[in-house]
Amino acid sequence: MRILVVDDERIVLESCRRVLGDRFDVSLAKSAEEALEAMNHEVFTLILLDIKMPGKDGMAVLRQVKARWPDIPVIIMSGYVTSETLEEVAKTDAATFLAKPFTPDELVQAVDQVLMKEEDHGKKEGARH
Amino acid sequence: MFYSIRAKLIASFIGVSFVVGAFSLFVGTRLLDRAVRSEALMRVSLDLNSAHELYRARTKTIEVSLNITTLGYGFLVALKDRDISDLIFRLGRMANYASLDFAGIVDGKGEPMCRSGPNAIPSRRNPSVNPITTFALEKQSCASGTFLLSHEFLFEENPQLAERARIDIIPTPGSQPGTKRAETAGLSLGAAVPVVHEGELLGVLYGGVLLNRDTKIVDTVKDTVFRNEEYKGRSVGRASIFINDVRISTNVPAQDGGRAIGTRVAAEVREHVLERKERWTRRAPVISDWYITAYEPIEDIRGRTVGILGVGVLDEKYEDMRWNDLSFFIFITVLGMLAAAALGCFVAGRLIDPIRQLIRASHQVTEGSLTPEIGPILKGEIGILQKAFREMVSAVGRRRMESQNRLIMSEKQASVGRLAAGVAHEINNPLTGVLTYTHMLLRRKELSEEVRADLQTIAEATERVRKIVKGLLDFSRQTTPDREKVDVNELVGSTIALMENQALVKGVDLKFNPAENLLPVNMDRNQFQSVLLNILINGLDATKSGDSITIATKNSEMVNEAGQEGVEISITDTGCGIPPEHINELFDPFFTTKEVGHGTGLGLAVSLGIVQRHGGSIRVQSEVGKGSTFTIRVPLEGRVV
Repeated sequence: MRILVVDDERIVLESCRRVLGDRFDVSLAKSAEEALEAMNHEVFTLILLDIKMPGKDGMAVLRQVKARWPDIPVIIMSGYVTSETLEEVAKTDAATFLAKPFTPDELVQAVDQVLMKEEDHGKKEGARH
Repeated sequence: MFYSIRAKLIASFIGVSFVVGAFSLFVGTRLLDRAVRSEALMRVSLDLNSAHELYRARTKTIEVSLNITTLGYGFLVALKDRDISDLIFRLGRMANYASLDFAGIVDGKGEPMCRSGPNAIPSRRNPSVNPITTFALEKQSCASGTFLLSHEFLFEENPQLAERARIDIIPTPGSQPGTKRAETAGLSLGAAVPVVHEGELLGVLYGGVLLNRDTKIVDTVKDTVFRNEEYKGRSVGRASIFINDVRISTNVPAQDGGRAIGTRVAAEVREHVLERKERWTRRAPVISDWYITAYEPIEDIRGRTVGILGVGVLDEKYEDMRWNDLSFFIFITVLGMLAAAALGCFVAGRLIDPIRQLIRASHQVTEGSLTPEIGPILKGEIGILQKAFREMVSAVGRRRMESQNRLIMSEKQASVGRLAAGVAHEINNPLTGVLTYTHMLLRRKELSEEVRADLQTIAEATERVRKIVKGLLDFSRQTTPDREKVDVNELVGSTIALMENQALVKGVDLKFNPAENLLPVNMDRNQFQSVLLNILINGLDATKSGDSITIATKNSEMVNEAGQEGVEISITDTGCGIPPEHINELFDPFFTTKEVGHGTGLGLAVSLGIVQRHGGSIRVQSEVGKGSTFTIRVPLEGRVV
């Protein structure tokens, strides 16, 4: 399973790879453009997306992702969340929200939860088909 | 200036005193006038009575003189013997003693026998009628009184008398027009006494005085009744005797300085006294002066009105008296009016000065002074106004201080919020790295205990940093309250339930006094619960075993300066209290008295932010060693701040 982590901070990207690298194939993107570029070439099971980035920010990426690949679950990360951004995120039905800073356990827990939900969802979808 | 209250007050004082003054002047002068006049009329009426008595007394004197004469034996003998020369002698002596103008004797048939004076022996041809003897003979008794004597009779008695009686009538303004040029008849006072001896009428003795040009009676009236009183060189009292309306005896001065004999009485007097036979008392012009006069008719022995007896008091004396009284009265009244006006000015000043002072004071307040000069506090309404003004100014000052403080506080919060947001954003990313790598290291099994313990410390310290940053973010997050109708009693109850265990462990008594009928408040339940929790936790930290924390709720009519109705929650502990120097810093972000690691110093700052966003306030009262009270006041309909 491939996971894409999008964040403008290197340390965050490295932390995620370090925690999730054992179990997943982790790709890293330092900007919105890099992320979209990567998504054009590869298929990801899950995306971890920082909401506040210089240049084109996380919200724009989220909208594009949801528009083009609505099935890919997205975990939003942020070190600074206002109720307005939370509401915006809620509208775009991102899978879940993860507040920075997080411990490795919290990250793994969030990822597992989302994947489990997706799995259930997929099973149901499959059953229906 | 004319529109000022002072001017209006003074004007009204003057107006009132003027009206009262004018009214009392009007009434007073009328009363005074009437009093003086009626006094004068009363006096002149009494004077007329006196004159009347004098007039009658004169008649009486004549009658007595005649009677005494007839009683003399010599006279009786002479009359019986018809000794004319003796009788003439006796008549002359009697006339002399009694000051008679004429005297005589007629026989039983009324024929003249003899008389005093030049024509002592009458000629026997056609004697003229003697009114008094005729009357006495008719009555067969003694007669006395007033009677008119004809010119012929007077001439027979004594040509000088006839001459004296003749009075040329002087045309007088205001009198009844008449064609008569002269008065030739004589008005006389006299008596007639029949002399009867042994049943035989021997004759009738008569005698009298002629009033024409007589001065005795009128001057006696002047001298005795008016006591010769003079006013400005003129006699005050006057008396006159009239035949019909012609003055025949008087001391009223004529234009030429003599006596005004021959002048006539005013037509009005003539009508009342001669025609209606009334007494007449009035102010009237007499020749050249005004007099207060009284007139009465003179009746002759047969009851016919033949003349007038009149007295008068110089009106000028009373007029002057009246004017003196009046001017004194006017002087007093005007003085009173002036005094009232002066008093009005004074009172207006006393009333207005403090108000002016207040106006000046309000200008001072407008210019920014909060300690305006109000002046001495008076009693009464103005005092109340002054006190209210003073309290208002100090309230304004207090409010200004409060709003300044609030402004500083919110500026502080806003800037801290921005800073916190920035810091949080920057710190959280590296913190993610620290947390991640520490925890990854801790997962390794081959670590020595020493290294593991060090890593554990790093992990815990980082955890603390995470909490601080989270607190900062909570504080800076300007989340608008998510409002719903909340039963504050229920909210407080459930919050206390959360803390009960902790309180029990610490041995602190948690009490709750909920108000009945507490109104529901539109508020964010979760945010408010965190406020209550925060204050309760602080309270627990400030107390020790045996202390208590009491929470009370009540409805409040005014919870903020907008005057909104709301709810008050007070949390009172009996803990250590807050030193005064810390009270003001209490709500500053990062202010804490707790040991390092036990508090972020953001709790109260966050709480205040939440309450203020609900349009409310938190007030702290505290005394070191006795405890603190936190009072949260929040309006029912929290406004959006």
